[in-house]
Amino acid sequence: MERQAIPNPYRKIQTTAAYRRLMMAYYFMVKHPRWFGKKVAWITSGGPVEPLYAMGVLPFYPENYGAMCGAGRVSVSLCEEAEQRGYSRDLCSYALTDIGSNLSGTGPLGVLPKPDFLVCCNNICGTVIKWYEIQARALQVPLFFLDTPFIHDEIHDHTLRYVEEQMEGYIAFLEEQVKRPFSEKRFYKVGARSLEAIQLWREILELSKNRPAPFTAFDAFIHMAPIVTLRGTRWAVRYYRKLKKELEQRVAEGKGAFAREEIRLIWDNIPIWYDIRKLSKMLSAQGAVLVGDTYTSAWAHEGLDVEPSLAGFARSHLTTYLNLGLEHKLQKMITLMEGYGAHGFIMHSNRSCKSYSFGQYDLKREVTTATGKPGLVIEADHTDSRSYAPKQVERQIDIFLDMIRGQGQA
Amino acid sequence: MTRQTALNKIKKEIEDIVSRSYGDSALLLPKDRMPIGFFCPFVPEELIHAAGALPFRLMGAPAQITHAQAHLPPYCCHLVKSSLESLLKGELHFLKGVVFSHTCDSMKGLSDIWAHKGLLSLQFDLMTPAHLNSGRARPYFRAEMERFKDFLESNVGKISPDDLKDSVRLFNRIRERLGELYALRRGLIDYIPGDYFARIIRAGYVMDRDRYLELLEELLDSLPEQGEAGEGDAPTPIYLAGNMTHMDTYFSLIEDAGAVVVGDDLCSGARTFRLMVAEDQDPLEALTERYFRSFFCPTKYLSPQAHLDTLVQEVADSGAQGVIFLLYKYCEPYFFDYPDLKSVLESKGVSTLLLEVEDPFQSQEQLKVRIQAFVEMLGLV
Repeated sequence: MERQAIPNPYRKIQTTAAYRRLMMAYYFMVKHPRWFGKKVAWITSGGPVEPLYAMGVLPFYPENYGAMCGAGRVSVSLCEEAEQRGYSRDLCSYALTDIGSNLSGTGPLGVLPKPDFLVCCNNICGTVIKWYEIQARALQVPLFFLDTPFIHDEIHDHTLRYVEEQMEGYIAFLEEQVKRPFSEKRFYKVGARSLEAIQLWREILELSKNRPAPFTAFDAFIHMAPIVTLRGTRWAVRYYRKLKKELEQRVAEGKGAFAREEIRLIWDNIPIWYDIRKLSKMLSAQGAVLVGDTYTSAWAHEGLDVEPSLAGFARSHLTTYLNLGLEHKLQKMITLMEGYGAHGFIMHSNRSCKSYSFGQYDLKREVTTATGKPGLVIEADHTDSRSYAPKQVERQIDIFLDMIRGQGQA
Repeated sequence: MTRQTALNKIKKEIEDIVSRSYGDSALLLPKDRMPIGFFCPFVPEELIHAAGALPFRLMGAPAQITHAQAHLPPYCCHLVKSSLESLLKGELHFLKGVVFSHTCDSMKGLSDIWAHKGLLSLQFDLMTPAHLNSGRARPYFRAEMERFKDFLESNVGKISPDDLKDSVRLFNRIRERLGELYALRRGLIDYIPGDYFARIIRAGYVMDRDRYLELLEELLDSLPEQGEAGEGDAPTPIYLAGNMTHMDTYFSLIEDAGAVVVGDDLCSGARTFRLMVAEDQDPLEALTERYFRSFFCPTKYLSPQAHLDTLVQEVADSGAQGVIFLLYKYCEPYFFDYPDLKSVLESKGVSTLLLEVEDPFQSQEQLKVRIQAFVEMLGLV
């Protein structure tokens, strides 16, 4: 029997208008770097962006672009462009979107901004190595590769040293590309802004520990763009100060992102970009709210040094969420579940992201054992809607929410 | 003993080892060496051997997947699925431990799940650097090798410098003999058909290595001179590209179609010949160094062109008329490279065929037809 949907209005975030202006300005600059006397580097989402800003280079994030294409539902046609050139449909759809867009010169940004060089860091997955090699060949530009060995259990001194030394190599590479010496002073300034933005982002996400949560994971999926792309700039700091202020006001007034919040959930994995709105609506209609997630909190590094340094950034790049083993992921999930007072969790088994999705079934069992809260695994793909059966997922979520209610947890 | 009798005796010993399931093969293992499993040639077998253990390579077994899907998503390759299946079914309990090396995201995930299950008492992750073209990676990997050595010494046995040198020599001789056999095989297909050769290689990953070297030497001594082999239509030379074959019959399918594999870059095949270790330097340093000498695996970065250049050169050297890509479904590292590899080969007049295999036991007839058509097409060129 279909559950009767009860209206549950969403409170719009006023700062979203500033977000739109900010991202529009960013993409305008990246599309026209020469007008601003800048070089452009394509960089992976876990890559060290601070040295780029310190050297006056604009970063462009193909993964963010993939998310944009996914949310705008144009990813499938771009993936098909790549598939027609021989790329397998089983490959990561972010990569296929970027490759298809580059090959065809089409997509929401039109022709992608031509990079002067590429920066690839494998702290999120091994996929990016292949992806960036392809683009380095296609675009005939230099590629810097920062190798961050995966941390299954503990960090060894020689591993940390390896990454730190590569950061020095990165600086030398940038000096060669930009033909300008690296300025410690400038890097310190950018690094300080980066740390402040990370701190603000962490505080914003933690505001949702309040009941009701002023900010949902769906909001975080949107508002995370500056912490990825503009980390190290004063724009990101200003923007997050503004967003935080608005959300703190909500907390003070006891207002949540939704009028009704009965079930609090944690999300694991990259969002299903093309279905965010519908999923949010479907959950909220049942009084369920995603109050936290493992994805956006990956940019809220904990335990960072107070003072910016290359060594500190090396460590943080080595210990990103996706570069840590299953036991670390388990602890993170338990911390989120307990910290946010969640009633359950939803895990997106993401066909395009083996790095995120392998181990989720074991994780689900362990998190439930540790917290006593149920979890649900749904199958989809972050941008390729061909691998998604929405009705089936909605039905699974319906049953899952009934189960939470039935257990009297909500 | 006549030549034929000697060849038959060698074949019987090889077949007896490789025809067994994991559990059964344990009965034939040397009693004085504890078996340690590993997946990838990045793991230095020499170190395991020098510690007094038997390196036992897991290459994916013919398995009906009934247990592994409770732990793995559907979008992962047969090697990963079938290996976890074998573990969960208790078929690998004879192993004292397992060594993973850092390669692709799927193997990384498998290692985590494997450790989480805790069914084998020992597990080690050798974190091979992904950057092969960096001076900074060498000291890092050297330290990883030291860490691996310490692990083996704590859990298996002391590794003396002399024992390690002996093991390096043993594995080098094995690679040399295999290389000789590989070169000879082209003219002696009646004696060593492709599926048999695949089994010879497979045997070398699971059996006592001293005995294996003896077998290879006996085999080389027993083979006829090239001129003595039967005359007939020369088969079409094919290069086989991919990661590994979990089915010996792929070679039969190619040979039945009138072709012969004259070169390959399988990590269970000729690619491993690039793993020779210098014998005139500190063995641990030499073991470290060999990984940086050439492009070895598409999961690693040497340069954006490395895989293309290496494959094009090897295909040219082999004299192959065509290249068959035999790829595991869901093998991201190879599938990302495939379109550019195909394109560069075809621009040089080398035809290619892609065979994507998931469960190797389901698609034999389809593969047969496609291989036959490809070989016929090459004959018309």
